[in-house]
Amino acid sequence: MDLREKRRIINKIALGLSLLAMLFGLFWLAWVLFTTLRLGVAGLSLSLFTQMTPPPGAGESGGLLNAIAGSLVMIVLAVALGTPLGVLAGIYLAEYGKHTWLGRVTHFVNGVLLSAPSIIVGLFVYAVYVARTGNFSATAGVFSLALIVLPVVVATSENMLRLVPDALREAAFALGAPRHVMILKVTLRASLSGVMTGILLAIARIAGETAPLLFTALSNQFWSLDLNKPMANLPVTIFKFAMSPFKNWQEIAWAGVFLITLGILALNIVARVFFRDQHK
Amino acid sequence: MNTDTKPSARTTDKAAARPDAQVVFRNLDFYYGRHHALKSINLDVYRRHVTAFIGPSGCGKSTLLRTMNRMYDLYPEQRATGELLLEGKNILDRDVDISLLRAEVGMVFQKPTPFPMSIYENIAFGVRLHERLSKTDMDERVTWALQKAALWEETKDKLSQSGMRLSGGQQQRLCIARAIAVRPKVLLLDEPTSALDPISTMHIEELVSELKAEFTIAIVTHNMQQAARISDYTAYMYIGEMVEFGLTDQIFVEPREKQTKDYITGRFG
Amino acid sequence: MTATAKVDKSAAQGRNLGEFFFSNATRIAALLTLGLLLAIIISLVHGSWPSIKQFGWGFLWSGEWNPPQDRFGALIPIYGTIATSLIALLIAVPVSFGIALFLTELSPPWLRVPLGTAIELLAAIPSIVYGMWGLLYYAPIFSEYVQPALAATLGKLPVIGVLFSGASLGIGILSAGIILAIMIIPFIASVMRDVFALTPAMLKESAYGVGSTTWEVVWHVVLPYTKVGVVGGIMLGLGRALGETMAVTFLIGNMNFFNGFSLFLPGNSIASALANEFAEAESPLYTSALLELGLILFVITFIVLGLSKLLLLRLSRQEAVRM
Repeated sequence: MDLREKRRIINKIALGLSLLAMLFGLFWLAWVLFTTLRLGVAGLSLSLFTQMTPPPGAGESGGLLNAIAGSLVMIVLAVALGTPLGVLAGIYLAEYGKHTWLGRVTHFVNGVLLSAPSIIVGLFVYAVYVARTGNFSATAGVFSLALIVLPVVVATSENMLRLVPDALREAAFALGAPRHVMILKVTLRASLSGVMTGILLAIARIAGETAPLLFTALSNQFWSLDLNKPMANLPVTIFKFAMSPFKNWQEIAWAGVFLITLGILALNIVARVFFRDQHK
Repeated sequence: MNTDTKPSARTTDKAAARPDAQVVFRNLDFYYGRHHALKSINLDVYRRHVTAFIGPSGCGKSTLLRTMNRMYDLYPEQRATGELLLEGKNILDRDVDISLLRAEVGMVFQKPTPFPMSIYENIAFGVRLHERLSKTDMDERVTWALQKAALWEETKDKLSQSGMRLSGGQQQRLCIARAIAVRPKVLLLDEPTSALDPISTMHIEELVSELKAEFTIAIVTHNMQQAARISDYTAYMYIGEMVEFGLTDQIFVEPREKQTKDYITGRFG
Repeated sequence: MTATAKVDKSAAQGRNLGEFFFSNATRIAALLTLGLLLAIIISLVHGSWPSIKQFGWGFLWSGEWNPPQDRFGALIPIYGTIATSLIALLIAVPVSFGIALFLTELSPPWLRVPLGTAIELLAAIPSIVYGMWGLLYYAPIFSEYVQPALAATLGKLPVIGVLFSGASLGIGILSAGIILAIMIIPFIASVMRDVFALTPAMLKESAYGVGSTTWEVVWHVVLPYTKVGVVGGIMLGLGRALGETMAVTFLIGNMNFFNGFSLFLPGNSIASALANEFAEAESPLYTSALLELGLILFVITFIVLGLSKLLLLRLSRQEAVRM
């Protein structure tokens, strides 16, 4: 076999393997999504949205109303808490603190927070809040979710603001705009779609988070919107129900998985389309 | 080499037609960190005339322009020393209100920099920073600025459209309109046509000739023909020094310095 | 109309005040972010102090995890965490490279975006879904078909054969590692694809110009050119794998004893030990030992992040020398 022939064959093999790798990735996606779809749709019913989570062995009935409501409440509050703080910190890192000691350290620290496992965040909130107040509560859950939102929003805001060309900043300064006006009216506006995308992806990320809620918000079998008590939520309910021997619990768990997956995939796709449209 | 040009630089033009100096550089030095970028600059910029700054890349002409509105304040490692008088007041002083200074000294950049907002808002943005105008007055001001920038006819029907959707040449005229809407005394143009096609360039050049009736204009350009066409005075700079300054006709026809002559005739640069 | 600015002085004062408040608000937000990390570290150290005092450094290499006797050691969960993550990398890195190669060089242009999005969607699926699906649908098939096949082939080899021996349970270290691989493929693959796509066309064209095959261009030109980004992507995936909780909790078997080196055996990871045991920990020392596990996990991810930064710094410095 001459050299050229050998090179040609190596090339063929490598490209064939890359096709296989692609198929390997798609295979798992298809399998997971197919399972979720099949069992999720089977478990879907109106009672899912009208009834509370059932007690153990309660036979047929039961839904996820309290868990859905609890998840929504905690997500909204966590985003309301984490986003403004994250955008402000991102602005500091990109606009004010680029050359300062605080800016550099915070940039690094945010990278650490971003890569910290979410269960560590749960541990932290348990140690500083749950252990102090003496009980699991929705507030603790909100804190841990907000702590996961925060570094994501800081990082995307910072990156998106840094993409704004300095020429635009100078142009605003040249008109006599003070920094905060320049930032709020010009650079933030220029990077708005990127920042929004980051926020959407942060929501998608916390929507499925289970680990940090296990020892903060815990869960609640009943309807409760009291922030000082444990609050039902989809991920922990699914975790509990999926591991159980009761058939109706498992069905409900799959329906819950379907709802969460659908919601998160939708958020991801919306974020992508939104971002792409703004950048044409 | 600059010792003999410094005193002569200010005495070249005919005394009779001498306009008043609105901006005066006195022994201005500029540093990027340790790099000495402008060396003891002395220069007058005359009221309601166009002064062009020419010279090879990196000679400091843009830096010089950016001292006049203290754009360098943005960057902590940059500083200027000496005196830079705007109508007699040293704008390098610490107590100068930068925002007010920039209301008096407008600037247009190498590339068009429309803000991510509508055409109307692009122009109103700067005005709102300095004045509180009623809706009618603001409309009037926006119209005036767009007319002055020769952009009114093309945009009067789409003022609420994004400024970023205009063509490159239109965007640059929008930036000029935005700068003059604040009604500055001095207008700084930093290679305003370097990113534009010949026709848009021609539009901007015509515009500059009209604007000098109301504004003092300082323009940096790489294009020698452009400097010759539109300026009244020309300053030739080389590695941070002011080599020669004088009436444009004189600089281009009979430059006093050999360096200037070499640059203008294309022997280096 | 005169062309000079008549400037509103009170507006100027308002501006300075606004600037003062806004810049300080952003500074405080940055300080808070910084403070939160410090608070996390302090609270973890504080919480694990009783355990640190009780067991000292021995905690790191003791394999005993005995809640009734209040005796704890972290070796089993540390081993499980590192073993599952390494398995995940071993599978995910070549697969991701293949996917990135396919997406940038092989795929017809109209398929690039949909296929790339599909791979990225793998990352959007919540980990609890991987866990449930893994336990109920993937594990049975894995134990029935894949594990016997592995035992019959790789299991017969000398030395590494021991890794693929024992009962086919479906759950265990290998099983969890494979699920982790699926979960981190999208992170590594999309970073690789993005950096591959950034390779200047001229560079690739000049390699093609001397007669290189696609594979040779990618292997000899694109990969060396993008290695910094590739390493970053791999480290990102490793960080994810180390801290992944729910999927591993479902699949690793949650066994706190060491029974041998076979990857078919159940084990435990730090994150899944925390998820399973933390809410039920009775004694203060038990809680403290779990918090110390959390601290160790945090330190491990911190080290991975630090190493990747260091590696990137070194690579870019070499780059600078070579240029």
